Amino acid sequence: MWAVFKKEIKTYFLSPIGYIAISVFMLMYSIFFYLTTISYGSVFMGDLYYATARYGLLLIIPLLTMRMFSEERKNGTEQLLLTSPRSVTSIVLGKFLSAVAVIMVTLIFSIIYATIISFFGDINIPTLIVTMIGFLLVAMSAISIGMLASSITENQIISAIITIGVLVAPWFLVDFSSIFSSIDLIDKFLKFPSGLISISDTISLLSITIMCILITIVLIKRRKTVK
Amino acid sequence: MIEIKNVTKKYGNTIAVDNISFNVKDGEVVGFLGPNGAGKSTTMNMITGFIEPTNGQIIINGNDISKKPRKAKKDIGYMPENVPLYYELTAKEFVTYMAELKMVKRNVRKEEVEKVIKDVGLEEVQNKLIRNLSRGYKQRVSMAGALIGNPDVIILDEPTVGLDPKQITEIRNLIKELGRKHTVILSSHILPEVSQICERVIIINKGKVIAIDTPENLEKATKDKNSISIIVEDPKDNVKNLKEKISQIDSIEFIKDNEDGTKQYIITSSSDIDLRKKLFEVLPKEEIVIFELKKTETTLEDAFIKLIDKSKENIDENKKEEKK
Repeated sequence: MWAVFKKEIKTYFLSPIGYIAISVFMLMYSIFFYLTTISYGSVFMGDLYYATARYGLLLIIPLLTMRMFSEERKNGTEQLLLTSPRSVTSIVLGKFLSAVAVIMVTLIFSIIYATIISFFGDINIPTLIVTMIGFLLVAMSAISIGMLASSITENQIISAIITIGVLVAPWFLVDFSSIFSSIDLIDKFLKFPSGLISISDTISLLSITIMCILITIVLIKRRKTVK
Repeated sequence: MIEIKNVTKKYGNTIAVDNISFNVKDGEVVGFLGPNGAGKSTTMNMITGFIEPTNGQIIINGNDISKKPRKAKKDIGYMPENVPLYYELTAKEFVTYMAELKMVKRNVRKEEVEKVIKDVGLEEVQNKLIRNLSRGYKQRVSMAGALIGNPDVIILDEPTVGLDPKQITEIRNLIKELGRKHTVILSSHILPEVSQICERVIIINKGKVIAIDTPENLEKATKDKNSISIIVEDPKDNVKNLKEKISQIDSIEFIKDNEDGTKQYIITSSSDIDLRKKLFEVLPKEEIVIFELKKTETTLEDAFIKLIDKSKENIDENKKEEKK
């Protein structure tokens, strides 16, 4: 698992993708930092994370996940991975965790904003930590969706569009029926900024993540027999 | 030791590999030969566990590749057909990554990587990005990926495609070298290559094994006549009448007129008769001056074409019978 993880991290930062992802993210943070805190004179950071989760993840996650398996399949390098003694599970987890690691780096950077705010008022640190945990959970499930999309096509653009589609569709589908709010990741983030770890939201985010990872593993294993 | 037992691979209704069985002993160098689309790569992909056979068993050193993939794959080094590489890595980084994937122990990893890079001759370019390497070097990087971890079995899918003649000889020598310590299976459609390197040849066509033997035996077995090429000066055109003089001649075929006025013919007889001596005696009497006389060798190439044609005929016959 760590062999794949290490190599993926390296690839993120050898290609521009890692830098673009982090800088776009920081740009988003900065814009929302101004819009949600400075312009209101507020020290509450929940809105900042909510807005970045809603719009930022939408841009960044497809960027991080689109090449995961699509590129390997297109270049034939999946042949190297799948003929190595490593299990499919460890390969999938390695790739998943590498994308999670990039998101964690941006979260660490986001502490800068908390530091700035702390000069102007008191920040509730436990609340901030809970917010970040929630953010990470949402990002993880988005990554797993992106990874799944990447494993079903060898075209990176299609994989990115599928990911964006799956992330955005619930926003509009809710108007048809409230059932769709259950697949809206951002909806599950709502309670975290108030410092509340919602068990049901945590469980549903984690189960989306685990489910998508499992489906990815099954799909890649299955390709062995149908390919 | 590799055992392939009744392996079949179907894609929908098309059969890519049709019930093939063969064994490869330890330390053997085996060539896999067939026209394009014969099922060479499919078979290799199955041996390496990249795709799953529809039916049948593949056993590497006693481990079934489908049931104990981890153990079986540890013993295999694979260089796939289209030389897939991570272009954003340097040659050394790539080989190191492959070493990690192959579970080469951490304490010997660095030495192993250095050794393999030296073996395939990548020292000069090891710190260059693979993206910027020439085709020949890319091929070697891929080869290094197959060799790392010192696997018992090395499988090379068309290892010399796209290389220049000098690189081809280098890679061939490398493969010969490998054959001393490893079991090697290589596929190719270049016949001289196979007869030079391999101890045994497996010829497949349309997913079926049509022959397994040493290159020499295949050449012998498919030889059904002796032919002699002669270049002669023959102003009276007497060669045509030779058949009357030497009764063993089956046919005389005119090949071409040369610029210096000589003519080239191919004279054939059945395989148990050597006509060379007779020709030397008879031709001067007929006022024919010999410029050159030599036995033409049947090559593996001829054998190959013959076998493929034969298998085609068989298939056609089978179809006819089925229709009846």
